Amino acid sequence: MPQRYDAVIIGAGHNGLTTAAYLAKAGWTVLVLERRHKVGGATTTEEIIPGYRFSVLSYVVSLLRPEIIRELDLARHGLEILPLDGTFTPLPDDYLWRRDDHGATMREIRRWSKSDADAYEEYGRLMAEMARFIKPILGIVPPDPTSLDPRGWPPVASLVREFGRLPRAQQQAFVGLMTMSASDFLDQWFETEPLKATMSASGIIGTFLGVKSPGTAYVLLHHYMGEIDGAFRAWGIPKGGTGAVADAIASAARELGVAIRLNAPVASVLTTGDRATGVVLESGEEIAAGTVVSAVDVRRTFLQFLDERQLPADLVDEVRRFKFRGSSGKVNLALDGLPSFSALPGEGEHLRGAMSMSPSIDYMEQAYDDAKYGRFSRKPYIDMIIPTLVDPQMAPPGKHVMSCFVQYAPYHLAEGTWDDQREAFGDAVIDAIATVAPNIRDIIVGRQVVTPLDMEREYGLTEGNIFHGELSLEQLFFSRPIPGWARYRTPIRDYWMAGSSTHPGGGIMAANGRLAALEILRSRKQKAA
Amino acid sequence: MAAVDGWDAIVVGAGHNGLVTAAYLAKAGLRTLVLEKRERIGGLTGTIEIADGTRAPAFFPTVGRLRPSVARELGLYDHGLALVSPEALAFAPLADGRSVTLWADAARTAAELRAWSPADADAYAGFDRRVRALAHFLGEIGDTTPPDPSGPSASDALRGILLGRAFRGLDRKDAQALLRYLPMAVADFVAESFRTDALRALIAWRGVRYTALGPWSGGSTQVLLTDSAGNDGGAAGETVFARGGPGALTLALASAARSFGAEIRIGAEVVAIRANGDRVTGVALASGEEVDAPVVATGVDPKTTILRLLDPMVAGPTLRWRGGNIRTPGAVTKVDLALSGTPVFPAAGADDEGARRIRGRIVLAEGIDEIERAFDASKYGRVSDRLVLEATIPSLVDPTLAPSGRHVMSVIAQWTPHALRDGAWDDAARAAIGDAVIARLETVAPGIGSLVTARRVLTPVDLERDFGPAGGHPYHGEPGLDQWFAWRPMLGLARYRFPVAGLYLCGAGAHPGGGVTGVPGRNAAREIVADRKRRR
Repeated sequence: MPQRYDAVIIGAGHNGLTTAAYLAKAGWTVLVLERRHKVGGATTTEEIIPGYRFSVLSYVVSLLRPEIIRELDLARHGLEILPLDGTFTPLPDDYLWRRDDHGATMREIRRWSKSDADAYEEYGRLMAEMARFIKPILGIVPPDPTSLDPRGWPPVASLVREFGRLPRAQQQAFVGLMTMSASDFLDQWFETEPLKATMSASGIIGTFLGVKSPGTAYVLLHHYMGEIDGAFRAWGIPKGGTGAVADAIASAARELGVAIRLNAPVASVLTTGDRATGVVLESGEEIAAGTVVSAVDVRRTFLQFLDERQLPADLVDEVRRFKFRGSSGKVNLALDGLPSFSALPGEGEHLRGAMSMSPSIDYMEQAYDDAKYGRFSRKPYIDMIIPTLVDPQMAPPGKHVMSCFVQYAPYHLAEGTWDDQREAFGDAVIDAIATVAPNIRDIIVGRQVVTPLDMEREYGLTEGNIFHGELSLEQLFFSRPIPGWARYRTPIRDYWMAGSSTHPGGGIMAANGRLAALEILRSRKQKAA
Repeated sequence: MAAVDGWDAIVVGAGHNGLVTAAYLAKAGLRTLVLEKRERIGGLTGTIEIADGTRAPAFFPTVGRLRPSVARELGLYDHGLALVSPEALAFAPLADGRSVTLWADAARTAAELRAWSPADADAYAGFDRRVRALAHFLGEIGDTTPPDPSGPSASDALRGILLGRAFRGLDRKDAQALLRYLPMAVADFVAESFRTDALRALIAWRGVRYTALGPWSGGSTQVLLTDSAGNDGGAAGETVFARGGPGALTLALASAARSFGAEIRIGAEVVAIRANGDRVTGVALASGEEVDAPVVATGVDPKTTILRLLDPMVAGPTLRWRGGNIRTPGAVTKVDLALSGTPVFPAAGADDEGARRIRGRIVLAEGIDEIERAFDASKYGRVSDRLVLEATIPSLVDPTLAPSGRHVMSVIAQWTPHALRDGAWDDAARAAIGDAVIARLETVAPGIGSLVTARRVLTPVDLERDFGPAGGHPYHGEPGLDQWFAWRPMLGLARYRFPVAGLYLCGAGAHPGGGVTGVPGRNAAREIVADRKRRR
């Protein structure tokens, strides 16, 4: 039975589902089409090894917008975030362990450097202030700086005014955060190598940049922007893995009347003249819709679903130029015991937080040097967590899963293919972990190595970029994804973007999906008026 | 001295910016005194004798970025400045005998590029046009005193600049592109237009020259565009020599300044800027002499000014902490060679045209990755085994620089970090880098080593010791986006004024930054004169 929907959403990742929910909330009839057999996209929990459930790709949550949790009532739909306590940086013969217990963290840093301990408090206060100042940006639809259209400017003007009122030290810090490398920025404050290296790591995640590359400092703020149940700065893992976030949004959307079809890959977007009128599935089925929203990345949005002759030539150039070049991989381990670090053997609270393989700035930068010339890092940066310590249902009783996010794994290899190098890459990761946790090889009962190529094939992440395109300065805010097209709309009328290629970028934020829905609703209201 | 009680302004340092400031101040009627610690003026923009009758640039080899308006307003051509512009702006010889040349005539460049790639040949004119358009806009930004982000009219000023006449002068595509390009890595920037690696490297080189950035570092596109700003540099950049060496420019500036009434004292090292409360009162010299003036303009780099010249009690702990964080990662070694004959570059060709190709900047970098690898070593405090070089042979266009039949070659070698992790810049290290430069030159100019009759090696440590800039950074501060525009050298100092009333920054550490432009000096003078009028 052919049915016409008010909106069809392509892709049931967390952003697509969020857009769907907000449109349905406004009374629209909405259909979400998903290529895979389940919702979530890269926000997914899967049982890859019998009995062991992995957050296959994304694995922690902090930036999920609180207004979305509230407005979609996600807690009622089963979302529960479990806290991750602290960050443990192991070295072969020592460690740096920061935790939520402020006193313990200060004693630990003082053990490394007294001046760093003093600076740490001041730094934390400054970053919290900065995060408070900058956070509204995540909720702004970017204006077009070359346009005199006044609508986009008031929120930006108020930010500029706010900036003018900040104390000079905070203004300077803001400028530094927006322009410096994470390493240079941290050098202003600290001398302890594992401290600087571990803090700098947040600046490179998902980018093809090193900790010494200008433009990596601003992501330092993300750590201070995370907000779970109103608790500033906390990171956590969703009970049941990140797939539980997508499931909760999907449940909220269904309750609002959204229909979700799985195993329904879209082949193209139907257009009449310069407007979108629906989609065609790979099966040949046509579905009519007043509005089509693509929650997949910008390259697929334009070059896969449309014929490029329908688009302005310069837009096609800009889309081709948009940088994906994924740089990370994931190694998911099934364990029948717990890793024991040589510097702090045995079980303990340090295993319940994040464990970061980041002994020094040089180590981090050398990992990047490998990637620049098309090799995966021989000594990679690894961010590890063991979700089963806080969420035991992810593995059989007494067993564990360990999630290892690895950088760098460049999508474009100088030699060979990811299909030949997958296991060598996995081995390099285990070797690196073994330098600080020698028992790791003995406790592994299964492993899944996810390369950038796997992310592209299985999850539709172009070039394996986890953020639908690099979060580098030239691809942010009013340049994301394309200068002139940062407001979720496209040159094809009634065809919209809602994925992580748009402002404010990737990560489990869902802000993109919400802002896109609000823009769509606003434009409809204007049309009606 | 007669005028001891009568100076209106003191300028510290007789580098090109200090002299520009002094000339403009004197022209505006201020009794102005320039104090230079060395026995000669010019600073990094000087000419020095490296062998009998053979003269080389003190540091900066070319003067093509000098703002034409500065030369005009100060009448520099009447004071002896003569410029020489070769037809070939930049030439990249490859070890396999091929080469890329960027000519002043873009059409000629494009025609030659056809042999490498027809697509690159077709793209060149458009790329050149865009660089010119964006650089022109940056030139206008450079002539503007940046807004104060804390001032009551901050947003007005910012909008005034961003949406003002200059930004409107750009077409919409260029304007959008500018915002995307500024933070971009120059390797990406050139890759968007060109396929030929040697061409990409030759153009991208100017995005990293004199910096501690690599071509894959964000913000290097801004450096490239700024290098083309204000003087119609285009994609190829400038290559303009001053007849008699770069020192001829500073001599002309000094002559102009004197003609307006300024006085210049050499061998007069300022060791302290004196202040009474939060007002500057003058300077103290190494000799113990004190000179009073209500205005002091420092052409010394901001880090040294804050940490060494200002009384800690006057500067205060916050300014000292922030001053100490000004990034000055000097990474350039200069090697000047006296040659007994003309070096032969087989890649240039043996004909007359070959002789013309090597009259501009000769860049030894065969591809983006080679540049990046040379940079990589410096991140860990080492010097790469394979140096990236830029050489000029000014005596080919200005025979006054060397005895007949002989030549002088001036080479910039990157990246040679100021802080070596293992070892120090002692005589052995200095000799080794000199040898490495000649060895690298031999790969494209076989036999050049046997022509060398004398050489001078200036490492970042030598540069700092002999000329003063902190970290041996020729731009007085890294030209990254973190030390740019309204935050160069830091927020609160970008309007040329220090928190100490009457003290001004007029050197390369101020907006719009380093290189031989004269613009920071002129902008500072304009602000000094404006403040004086306001006080009256």
